[in-house]
Amino acid sequence: MRTLLLVTLSVLVLSAIGFALGPYQTDVYRKLLLWVALALSYNFLFGVAGQVAFSHFTFYGIGAYAMPILLFQAGLPLPVAVVVALVVVILVALAVAIPATRLDGFYLALATLALAQLFIVVLNEGGEVTGGTGGLTNYRLPDIAGVALSGPRYTVVIVLVVVFTWFALQRVDRSFFGRACRAVRDNPQAAAAVGIDIARTKVMAYVLTSALAAVAGMVYAFVDNTVNPPIFGLENTFLLLFMVIIGGSGSLPGAVIGAVLLYLLPFVLAPLIGHHHALVFGLVMVAAVLLQPRGLIGVIESLTARWKRR
Amino acid sequence: MQDLIELAISATAGGCIYALLALAYLVVLRPTGIINFAVGDWATVAAFAGYLGLSRYELPWAAGMPLVIVLAALLGWVTERIAVRPLVERGAPVLAPILALLGMLVVFRESVSLIFGPDPLPVPQPLGYGRIEWGLIAGSYQSFFIMGVTALLFCGTWYFFERTLAGRSFEAVALDRKAAALMGINLRRVTACAFAAGGAIAGLAALLLTPNTSAHYLMGIPLAIQGFTALVIGGVGRIEGALAGGLILSFAEQLTVRYAPIPAGLAQGVPLVLLIGFLLVRPQGLLLARGSSR
Repeated sequence: MRTLLLVTLSVLVLSAIGFALGPYQTDVYRKLLLWVALALSYNFLFGVAGQVAFSHFTFYGIGAYAMPILLFQAGLPLPVAVVVALVVVILVALAVAIPATRLDGFYLALATLALAQLFIVVLNEGGEVTGGTGGLTNYRLPDIAGVALSGPRYTVVIVLVVVFTWFALQRVDRSFFGRACRAVRDNPQAAAAVGIDIARTKVMAYVLTSALAAVAGMVYAFVDNTVNPPIFGLENTFLLLFMVIIGGSGSLPGAVIGAVLLYLLPFVLAPLIGHHHALVFGLVMVAAVLLQPRGLIGVIESLTARWKRR
Repeated sequence: MQDLIELAISATAGGCIYALLALAYLVVLRPTGIINFAVGDWATVAAFAGYLGLSRYELPWAAGMPLVIVLAALLGWVTERIAVRPLVERGAPVLAPILALLGMLVVFRESVSLIFGPDPLPVPQPLGYGRIEWGLIAGSYQSFFIMGVTALLFCGTWYFFERTLAGRSFEAVALDRKAAALMGINLRRVTACAFAAGGAIAGLAALLLTPNTSAHYLMGIPLAIQGFTALVIGGVGRIEGALAGGLILSFAEQLTVRYAPIPAGLAQGVPLVLLIGFLLVRPQGLLLARGSSR
C-alpha cells in the first residue's frame, strides 16, 4: 500500500515537472530521466551483483534501434515489436552471460568491451537496416489508441519507465535474489556453501539489468526520433560507470545522485572550461575510488550519522 | 607472391606494435593481477611527448627517443603512486585499482586534448622515408625499424625475466605474493617497477607507431583493446605469448582486409570477434593470471 502511494506520488511529481518545462528544458529533462534509468539498472549490475560489464549501452542501443527497425522496416504493431525486441535482448544477454560464468575474473569486462565495440562496427556497416553512420531518422511514434504521445505526454512515458525501474529494482534488491546477488559479489564460496547457484544468479542479474537498459533504449528511440551509432559507444558506458561509482555503487539513491550530478555538471562547467568536463569527471572518479569507495552516498551517510550522534 | 610478402612485412611490423602493448599489459598484470586499461593512454601521452621533442623541438631520434621513454616510465611510476599504491596498501579488492586506472585513462586523454587540441599532430620518421628492396623482400624503412627495435626489446625482456635475479623476483611475486614477500622481496618496489616498465614499453610502442599514424588524443582506447586482444590470444603466462598474440592478431586483421570479400568497415570487427572467440574457446591465459595473483 505504502509502495503504491509512493509510486503514484513520484509519477505525479515527476510528470508535473515535465508539464512545466519549455521545449529545450523538456529535452534536457527527458535525457536526464533516461540517464537515471540507466544508472539505476547499471548500479544493480555493477554495485549489487558486482559484475564489471561494458555492455550496458549496447543493450540500450539494441532496444533503441529495434524500435524503428521492427516498427517501420518489418511493419510490426507496437506491442509485438516491444516483445520481439525484448526477446532479442534477452537472447543476446544470455549468449554473453552464460559463457562468462564458466570463468573467474575479468572475463566479462573484456568480452563486453569487445562486444560494445563490435556493436558499433555492426551499426556503422549495417547498410539499409541500421542506416550506417548516419543512423535512422524520419520516423515517429505511431498513435496509441488514437492518442498522439508527444510533448509532455511522452515525458510521462519516460517518467513511468524510470519509476518502474526504481521500484522493480528496489523490490528485487530486497528479495532473496537481491540478497543472493550481494552474497555472490562479496564471497562466492560462502554463497555457494549456503546453497546459492552462483552461475544462475550472475546470469539472471545480467539479463535482468540488460533488459531494463533495453526498455530505456526503446523509449529513447522516440525522444529525438533519430538513432545513430556514437550515442551507444564506450564513451557513454564509461560515463555511466563514473556516475554509479561517484554516486555510490550498490545504492539506488546513490545511482540517482551520480546520474543527476554528472549529467548536469557539464551545463554548469561549460562557461568555465568549455568541453573539457570529462577531465573533471576523471579526476572526481579517481578521487572517489581513493577516498570514498562508497561514493557520495557514503559521504552523506557518514555526515548524517555524525549529526545524529550529537 | 610479391604482394603477399609485402603484406607479411607490414603485418609483422603492425603485429610488433600490438605485441609491445600486450607486453605493457603483461609486465603489470603478472606481478599485480591488475588489468591496466590506461596502457593505451600512456601511449597517447608518449606520442605527444614524441611530437613535442622530435617534431616541434626537432631533437635527433637518438636523443629524443630515450628521453620520451624515460618520461613514459616516469608517467607509469607516477600513475602507480597516485592510483594504485594507496589502494594496495589499504588492502582494497583488486577491482579498485582497475577502476582508478580507468579514471586516470580519462584524465590523461583529456589533459592531452586540453593541451594539444583535437587535431592529429605529426611525428617524424626515424630513418626518413624510403624503402628497402631486397629481392622479393620489400618494405618501408619504418617497418624494418619497428621489427628491429621490437626484437631487441623482447630479447632484453626475456633475458631480464629469465636470467637476472631482479627479473626472477618479478616472477616469484607473480606466482605467490605472500611467499615472495616472506622471502624478502620488496612488493612495493616490484609493483612500482612493473608500472614504470609498462609505461616505458607503451611509450616505445607509441614512438614506433606514430610516424605512420600521427599522434591523436583518441588513439588510446583502440590501442588498449588491440593490446589486450593480443595478450588474450597469446596467453598471459609468458613473454613470448605477447609477441605471438600480436603477430597473430595483426596477420588476421591484414589478411581479412586484403583478401576477405567483406567491406573494409566490417574488417574492423575481426580483432573483436577474435577476442571473443579466444575468450570462449581458449581462455586459459586469463585464468592463469587470476590464479597466480592471489
